[in-house]
Amino acid sequence: MYQLSSVDKKFPGVHALKAIDFHIKRGEIVGLVGENGAGKSTLMKVIYGAYQPDGGQILIDGKPVHFANPRQAMKRGIGMVFQEQSLIPNLTVMENIFLGYEAQFTRLGVVNWKAMAAAARKQLAKVKLDIDPATVTSALSFAQRQLVELAKVLTLEERVEGDLVILLDEPTSVLSEDEVKLLFKLVRELTSRASFIFVSHRMDEVMELSDRIYVMKDGQVMDVVARAEADASAIQHKMVGRHVDREYYREQRQKPYDRSRKLFEMRDVVLPGRPHKLNLTLHPGEVLCLVGTEGSGREAILRTIYGMLAPLSGHFEMKGEALRGFNPRRSVAMGVGYVPRERKIEGIVAGMNVYENMTLSQLGRYSKAGVIDVGREKALARDWISKLSIKAHSEFADCGNLSGGNQQKVVLSKWRSGGSDIMLLDHPTRGLDIGAKEDVYDMIRDMSDDGTGIVLVADTLEEAIGLSHTIVVLKDGEIRQRFDCQPGAKPSLYDLLHHMI
Amino acid sequence: MTMQRIKPHLPWITLLVLTAVVGVVDPNFLRPANLLSLAGDIVPLFIMALGLTFAIYIGGIDLSVQSMANMITVIASIYLASLGAWVAVLCIAAGFGLGMLSGFLTTRLFVPSFISTLAVGGVCFSVAQWLSGNRALNMDAEQRNATFGWMIGHTGIVPNELFLAAALLALCLFIERRTVLGRVLKAVGAGEPAAKASGINVGRYKMLAFAISGALAAIAGLLFSVKLSGGAPTIANGFLLPAIVAVLVGGTPLTGGVGGVLNTLIGTLIVAVIRASMLYLGIEATQQQMLFGLVLIAAIALTIDRSKLRTVK
Amino acid sequence: MKLTRENVIRWAPALVLLGLVVLFAAINPAFLSQRNLARIALASTPAMMVALGVTFIIVMGSIDLSMEGVVSLCAVLFCLLFLRLGGSLGAGAWLAIPAILLCGAFFGWLTGMVHVRLQIPSFMASLAMGFVGTGAAVLVTGGDIVRIEDDVFRALLTWRILGFPLMVYIAAALVLLAWFIQNHTTLGRNFYAVGGGEELAHASGVNVRRVRLAGFALAGVFYAIAAIFQVARLGQAESVTGANLMFVAITSVVVGGVALWGGIGGVLNAVVGVLIVNVIGNGMVVIGLPNYLQDGLLGVLVIIAVVLSTDRRLVSFAK
Repeated sequence: MYQLSSVDKKFPGVHALKAIDFHIKRGEIVGLVGENGAGKSTLMKVIYGAYQPDGGQILIDGKPVHFANPRQAMKRGIGMVFQEQSLIPNLTVMENIFLGYEAQFTRLGVVNWKAMAAAARKQLAKVKLDIDPATVTSALSFAQRQLVELAKVLTLEERVEGDLVILLDEPTSVLSEDEVKLLFKLVRELTSRASFIFVSHRMDEVMELSDRIYVMKDGQVMDVVARAEADASAIQHKMVGRHVDREYYREQRQKPYDRSRKLFEMRDVVLPGRPHKLNLTLHPGEVLCLVGTEGSGREAILRTIYGMLAPLSGHFEMKGEALRGFNPRRSVAMGVGYVPRERKIEGIVAGMNVYENMTLSQLGRYSKAGVIDVGREKALARDWISKLSIKAHSEFADCGNLSGGNQQKVVLSKWRSGGSDIMLLDHPTRGLDIGAKEDVYDMIRDMSDDGTGIVLVADTLEEAIGLSHTIVVLKDGEIRQRFDCQPGAKPSLYDLLHHMI
Repeated sequence: MTMQRIKPHLPWITLLVLTAVVGVVDPNFLRPANLLSLAGDIVPLFIMALGLTFAIYIGGIDLSVQSMANMITVIASIYLASLGAWVAVLCIAAGFGLGMLSGFLTTRLFVPSFISTLAVGGVCFSVAQWLSGNRALNMDAEQRNATFGWMIGHTGIVPNELFLAAALLALCLFIERRTVLGRVLKAVGAGEPAAKASGINVGRYKMLAFAISGALAAIAGLLFSVKLSGGAPTIANGFLLPAIVAVLVGGTPLTGGVGGVLNTLIGTLIVAVIRASMLYLGIEATQQQMLFGLVLIAAIALTIDRSKLRTVK
Repeated sequence: MKLTRENVIRWAPALVLLGLVVLFAAINPAFLSQRNLARIALASTPAMMVALGVTFIIVMGSIDLSMEGVVSLCAVLFCLLFLRLGGSLGAGAWLAIPAILLCGAFFGWLTGMVHVRLQIPSFMASLAMGFVGTGAAVLVTGGDIVRIEDDVFRALLTWRILGFPLMVYIAAALVLLAWFIQNHTTLGRNFYAVGGGEELAHASGVNVRRVRLAGFALAGVFYAIAAIFQVARLGQAESVTGANLMFVAITSVVVGGVALWGGIGGVLNAVVGVLIVNVIGNGMVVIGLPNYLQDGLLGVLVIIAVVLSTDRRLVSFAK
């Protein structure tokens, strides 16, 4: 009854959705899987009306429809249960459920709280949640909030004639195992009134709940699998499988690293919120890749090394010195460089030029008594602009106007020119085009050759495999497996996935 | 795109056009003597705006500058007799210290700067009332002339205030363009998260920005009290609005990161020309507030960088 | 009840008020005399109205610094209009009251437009509009004082019931009205939705812009009421009638426990806050301290209140 027919969506520089065909039947649960950047979230936004497709059609019961905003989509029975908590914490449960639709309970702008509470109770009963609708939302547990969000979407039932389509975006990420079971039971029961689109990165859950699974990659639907024929590893291969070229990741340039020296060593380090003890070592010239799903604890490790997060216990040694205090200033002083995922927010300062950005982390070195030696700064910038062939008209170019790849080069040269020999790269190729990605791969090899140790969180699994000397697989904050990745003896995608999920 | 290109040049174009218009209406306006005395009169405001530029440059605001200047007029009037020239050191130290306090509240305790500086302004007002007993005070004319007479005299036809202003402008320009402090402040205004991720102790520099704002407001107050030969807890009221207008009209937006002290020079001159033209139209200083309020709104609307405001609160 | 941060924030203002009353009464029992209490109540009324208005705006997560200008302008216009309409409440001059409420609403709406349409942060938009208001008041009066000597109108001040002037009772009724708006109308609840999560409210179909504009207009009405009380109290209006109300009102609301970040606290907090501020002002005089310490003390209090109400885990930096 709900159908997308060759839907297209383009953003500047990105073809996010390529001729997507999608349909969902009455009372069906459809799973949607894909890696980050495969186009899942864009597709969802098209479905619930936040984006308008550039091509193709949306059909309900065979008739084309057009949604200018989410509210119009809601009028046709399409509701979204958001991944991030979308309830307003300081309002009561019933106010949240009817937010934006209070008119039915008001006369001359005055709210009839009794009527609203009664209606809210009815909604809460649908999700089997027995709480006072006048409870302030911030007092609820995450699981309860997730159910309230579902109840909020289910108000569509009364407001809309016809069928409902409800999107569940990673609904289980904050739930315990028992809570997940309850949620699934509820969703199955509710299929008598609504169809569901279920998005999750937990393959087992998708396979358990869905009748059919859409597998997405690079903005396309790679396959549609019925539940009976679903096989986790086959789906995963479709999600990530591409032609892997050894040249592409500069594997021929991968050299053995120096095992005799250690740049840092974590022994039995425990991070806040995670019970597991972590043991990690980085050697000069080594590319150490942290692999895991979103939320598996990769970022926390990077942030600890960078000093933004202090471990609860354990021993952390950097260059032979045991660390006590943790803050970025200290880490930078000890030679740690950080290439953040949010390049435009934490990486470069838009509005400042190339040399100003490059010396931002090492102003002490380019100044005397607080007075900057601008001449030396410019020389440095010119030097690195030619070294890395940064495409900028001069060292005076505003970094905000550079392309993503050149911005990334500026960030990298900021650290490298400062002599950082522990580099933390968080998704360094995110959002870059292929040529720029290859430049980054070359730079990683250059740094290795210079004896810099690199901790990498890669954008894709192939990238991780292709670039690294060592892979550490994380799941739920625990180190599950280590792989040695000598050229020619690299682990396969399947080897990694096996431990990730 | 063209608008983007013209924008940085709008302030001085505005200044030229305004000056030309007033000059055509009243040719006397353009006489060097008139222009110089006009410029001399605006120096206390300029110095205050100069300091305020630093607070706005990092994306904050300092609403305490007026109360600060008020308090300093009182302090200067009282302690000139006992401290002599050292009173200047006392004034600047007080301004620097209280500015530092605003900065501390904002950077370490996360109190938004418009509230922290408002509160510090309240403290200044109390101190001023307390010290003065809520009366207008006079300086001893002879002692004033002996100690600070150089500030307000003339060299040829040039008012000495202008030299003071030029010296402070040069100092601020040096800080902005050539020191680590200036560079970090620019980074904070343009993109604080990136500055932090580069391992900079951002808080310390932000505190210094507020301290500079306080210190320059104090110098403005000192000069003002020397000019008037006295002080009172409300004597500098009416400075805050034109000071903010001067900074914003000059092209340093409320969101910070661009502009700077040279822009404030132009902005202050624009304010001076507007004021002068109003006098020709027979509108008194007190009645100009409404116009300046409207100019302020227009200036903010034109300069503010909306891409930096996720939601406008 | 557990001693959590939330509970401390919720009850601290009331406890502070109680503590202050006990303290001043202990030092000088005359503090609790009916005459003195009436004095406190009377002094509080205009500030109370301003505080109620700005509470709605702070709950939305915005701020309004225009009250001094708006109150001055409304007071001046009210007096002029009152005199033009006959100068006596009985003789048709009562029309000035609804007219000035509309005027306040319009000015507030205008501030809202500058803020919402031109996308200027509210503290600056309202500060500028406040200057415009004061400037307009100067322009209208030419710097003169306008007097009203109508006995019927002044009854707001002179007619006392149980020792308290009539306007105190009207103010109390208006507090109830504000409380009703806050808790029982869609508009009032939408203030909380916007303050608690603007983007989420927008995604749920709340017209955030309209709520903002309505909030500023509503605040303007309360400022106009404050202006009328101010005129009734002083018998005159000039361009500085609203002076110092900004600092007192903002301090009151924040000290009363309304979080600057929006969404937390409300009308009752504002009432407690206004009483704290006025009890301090009055109490200092009663126990013989100079009242000019007040501004400094309020400055310190407001900082403490903001620091206490800030959840430092959620704020990465302040500008």
